Amino acid sequence: MEDIKVTDNETVEQLRQDYENMQAEIADTDGIMDKIKAMIKNNKLATISLIVILIFCFCAIFAPVVAPHDPTLQDYDNVRAHPSRDHILGTDELGRDVFSRIIYGARISLVIGIVPTTISMVIGTILGLMAGFMGKKVDFVIMRLADIMLAFPSLLLAMVVMYTLGASLINIFIALSVVNWAGTARVVRSQTLALKEKEFVEAAESIGVKKSVIMLRHILPNCLPSLIVLFTMDIPGSILSESSLSFLGIGAQPPASSWGLMVVNGKQWLFSEPWVAIAPGVAILILVLAFNFLGDGLRDAIDPYMKE
Amino acid sequence: MNTFKFIVKRILIAIPVLIGVMLIIFLMLNVVPGDPVTLMMKEHIKPELIERMRVEMGLNDPVMVRFFNYIKNAARGDFGMSYKLNRNVTDLILNAFPHTVKLTIFAALIAWIIGIPAGIISAVKQNSLVDRFLMSFSLIGVSMPVFWAALMLQYFLAFKWKLLPVSGYATLKHMIMPAIVLGWSSAGTIARLTRSSLLEIMKDDFVRTARAKGLKERAVVVGHALKNAMLPVVTMMAIQVASLLSGAVITESVFGIPGIGRLAVNAIQTRDMPLLQGTVVFTTVLIISGNLIADLLYSVIDPRIRVE
Amino acid sequence: MEKNRMKAFFIMVVITIMALTGCSKTDNVITPASGDNILRLVTADEQTTCDVQKTTEYYTMPLNIFERLVETQTNLDGTSELVPGLAENWDISDDGLIYTFYLRKGVKFQNGEEFKADDVVYTFERMLKPETNALNQDFIMAVKGAADMMEGTTDKLEGLEVIDDYTIKMTLEDPFAPFLANLATPGVSIYNRKFTEEAGDQFGLMPEKTCGTGPFMLSKWELNSETQIDAFDGYWKGRPKLDAVNFKTVKDADTQRMMFENGELDEFDCDEAPSQIAYFAESDKYKDWIKVGNRVGTTYYSINQGIEPFNDVRIRKAFQMSFDKQQLLNTLYDGRGTVANGIIPPGLIGYNPDLPEIKYDPEKAKKLMSEAGYPNGFEMDICMVTDSPDTLRINEMVQSMLSKVNIKANIVQKDEASWYGVRAEGNLGSYTSTWSADFNDPDNFFYTFFAPQNTVKRSFNYDNPEASNKVAEARKMNDQDERIKLYQELEKQIIQEDAAWVPLYSRQHIYVVNPRVQNYVVMWNGWTGNMYYNMYIDNTKAPQ
Repeated sequence: MEDIKVTDNETVEQLRQDYENMQAEIADTDGIMDKIKAMIKNNKLATISLIVILIFCFCAIFAPVVAPHDPTLQDYDNVRAHPSRDHILGTDELGRDVFSRIIYGARISLVIGIVPTTISMVIGTILGLMAGFMGKKVDFVIMRLADIMLAFPSLLLAMVVMYTLGASLINIFIALSVVNWAGTARVVRSQTLALKEKEFVEAAESIGVKKSVIMLRHILPNCLPSLIVLFTMDIPGSILSESSLSFLGIGAQPPASSWGLMVVNGKQWLFSEPWVAIAPGVAILILVLAFNFLGDGLRDAIDPYMKE
Repeated sequence: MNTFKFIVKRILIAIPVLIGVMLIIFLMLNVVPGDPVTLMMKEHIKPELIERMRVEMGLNDPVMVRFFNYIKNAARGDFGMSYKLNRNVTDLILNAFPHTVKLTIFAALIAWIIGIPAGIISAVKQNSLVDRFLMSFSLIGVSMPVFWAALMLQYFLAFKWKLLPVSGYATLKHMIMPAIVLGWSSAGTIARLTRSSLLEIMKDDFVRTARAKGLKERAVVVGHALKNAMLPVVTMMAIQVASLLSGAVITESVFGIPGIGRLAVNAIQTRDMPLLQGTVVFTTVLIISGNLIADLLYSVIDPRIRVE
Repeated sequence: MEKNRMKAFFIMVVITIMALTGCSKTDNVITPASGDNILRLVTADEQTTCDVQKTTEYYTMPLNIFERLVETQTNLDGTSELVPGLAENWDISDDGLIYTFYLRKGVKFQNGEEFKADDVVYTFERMLKPETNALNQDFIMAVKGAADMMEGTTDKLEGLEVIDDYTIKMTLEDPFAPFLANLATPGVSIYNRKFTEEAGDQFGLMPEKTCGTGPFMLSKWELNSETQIDAFDGYWKGRPKLDAVNFKTVKDADTQRMMFENGELDEFDCDEAPSQIAYFAESDKYKDWIKVGNRVGTTYYSINQGIEPFNDVRIRKAFQMSFDKQQLLNTLYDGRGTVANGIIPPGLIGYNPDLPEIKYDPEKAKKLMSEAGYPNGFEMDICMVTDSPDTLRINEMVQSMLSKVNIKANIVQKDEASWYGVRAEGNLGSYTSTWSADFNDPDNFFYTFFAPQNTVKRSFNYDNPEASNKVAEARKMNDQDERIKLYQELEKQIIQEDAAWVPLYSRQHIYVVNPRVQNYVVMWNGWTGNMYYNMYIDNTKAPQ
């Protein structure tokens, strides 16, 4: 690529005009909302999933209003009660209302799904952009780091992080984000590499637009469709990882009662009072399925060429 | 010969990755309070002994010194003695490894023997009831916590209907449930990948040409589309074996299979550094090899693709 | 051409799979069938070694593979007494310093060697030598010269004198009343010099390297999978009636329970799932299968006097009154246990059934707290180890009880290593735990918790030096009645007056046992693992 020597103002003006035209053509971000609306019209499954997710979010946010009982209220006379009008899903081994615990549990599970995924996407995107755009050396280092992350069995790495930092909700966020950024980084990097060759990027560079601005203003928006899909599809992973960590004893800790933890604690009752363990298990299943269907629908609508 | 150079290059790159992994674990496990000696004594803690044993185990040396010693020995194949189990780490791993391999292979077989045909059928009968059903079933496999799936299978197949033994690994019968649990989510992923890959290929021109030539539908699919669609699928298969190996952690715990996963979890819980390092190194080598094989397969199957 | 390539590839894969499957070791497991004369058990937490000197928690193997000079016999009614073991009888000098043991003749080790006094010398010296890094040394520390051996300044234990092959004299540093009881603990199992020296640091790690005089021999040990001990034909009391005892290692409690209910196991230990006691006790099928053992132990809540406001005795007393112990027992353990008001549990010498009760009285607690300057309560930490669902339930109930007296308790979870680490520094917040007897003497309880440096290591920081010193002194007293009286006084001092910890209850240990197993007796202290010599199987009594 030759450097275009800029000698007079008219040429600069012309270049700038071309460059902005090309931007408008290629950056299709305004089209995303339309595509999503189309998806909602056509893809019933994805739409239902979206509604389900919104319902869960609503329950999570307005838990004190939605839940019929205080989830921590222990009632020793009413232990492991069968489902009844007062307790829709019965009570657990300390007499607490299972249904209310599930509603409050939505908070934890949603937060565990969303926060680490967001963090790891941010980290992954930044590193991926840098790897794609800032030259071979940076690329090499970042990709080796990503290799290390991906070479590590993720559940074990999360466990080691939890043991190092101690068991708490914040540390789960850290553990799960640390483990997951590499996948995003790879995708963003390959998209960056592809976009780098496009003319409008070369044009921008030649005018002297700063590298960071190019990455943020031009490349990033083009990655957005993939990122949205990745985001929706990574959330289930976080939720499931946390329940695996709970099974191994190092996941969310009380009083923060995630659904995964409820299942782990409740499974000894499977033989006599199965609802204590089955209800939260089904909740996980529904929420995760919803995110998966939504992710599928989004991918078909927005970014049909994304490879897994 | 290109292939040979490629392999060598990848191995050389893998070494710093391995060392990086080992360093990370080493540092993390050293930062925390609580050392293996105190843990060994637990309730019967004897202050006089603790210091002496720490010195003997070299736990009081500076971290980097210990790390270098460790790497030096590891390069010769000596991964030290497990703190808690008092045995040679290499022996422990070699004894545990075949069980994990057995489990992984069965799981992989189930994943591929069910997943690939499911994906093909779905693609061929796109949007039909069969398609919807198979894809939903795949998605459920990916959406359940592993220990939950294990528990459900155990409860129904082993306990309620007495079709299979509850746990253990002695005979083929014992391995069926663990293999299903481990393989289900991989089956789901493979099925979906096969389907989407095949669908994409089938839209391609040359397939239309083949149809235009008048070949029977089945011949079209099997003869032309499938071969090319299998590319990403085969790659995914090789990668999956590696992650199956590490994902076996929970399956081994529930079904009492004495494999690498169990060793690793115990090692983390008891701060058994040598054992943990050994298992992680081992699993990392496997994952890196898996990726390497995947890349090689890519080029073998389609000689048009040159590796890197 | 490409099609063939694919075919070749798949064939290669299939062959690899078959090869690998064939290579893996499937020869191992012989699953004992239900009609055999083999006792089928399960454990969640497998032993790390059979060498009892290197462990403080895995006693089942040592109890059955090795023997001790003196043994604790558990009677069918749950009481216990010290009976001769490898020592037929013994003399104790009047000043309590010299013990002369007359050893049993003709006892064979499992390798054919005969048991002699020299083996006792070897065992003791091995335990005390610094190179061994033994963990159980405190059981024989009373012997004269033990401290020197532990330092490494000598390689011969001064207090041991071999009179002849079957007589050995032990001299103590100071009189130590619980000495005999200590010798009966699994930790002082007797090893054979020749065999153990040869085995080196592999001793106890595999069948070929494990040898004792006990009724069973280690015949199989597959790590994380299965352990089996077979009957020893040459056992001096006569071969056990059981052919073998088989232990599968299964970590998951629900898997264990399913295996048991499927008839694959002969025993289910309700400690694995205390919440299921009611299920078994109330089921028609299982209610006659229940075997109860007294756990000679006290579950307690610790109080760290180094953390404010627990340095104030009024706060501690208020804390004691905030626990509804009977409710805890009822909700969590189906009521099976006794509420505790002291340190010494029922079943231990010196148990005082007439201790004044520490009543559950939240109103009085609040009053005391106001007096101490905390009318609105305070905040505190309850620390526990992760992945302990049963402990968690206790803590959750306690948290709720404490909130009724305005104490806001935060449940802090640490992984095991951190927990023990912080506790050893004396900085751990309140925690609940159970201490069960190693040997039948109050010293095992008092010394462990309230002796000067131990109280720091367990994060009690008990600050009554006079009482602490008395605890140390009581070991040396000779007159058993005097000692018991002293301990009972100390008990009142520590619990009632100083309110140094909160005794909760003593739980029973419940097992569900297949009726084909006869003579099933739970170990006297309810925890170290059972001895299988007297048990046998009568398949005519097996359930249909």
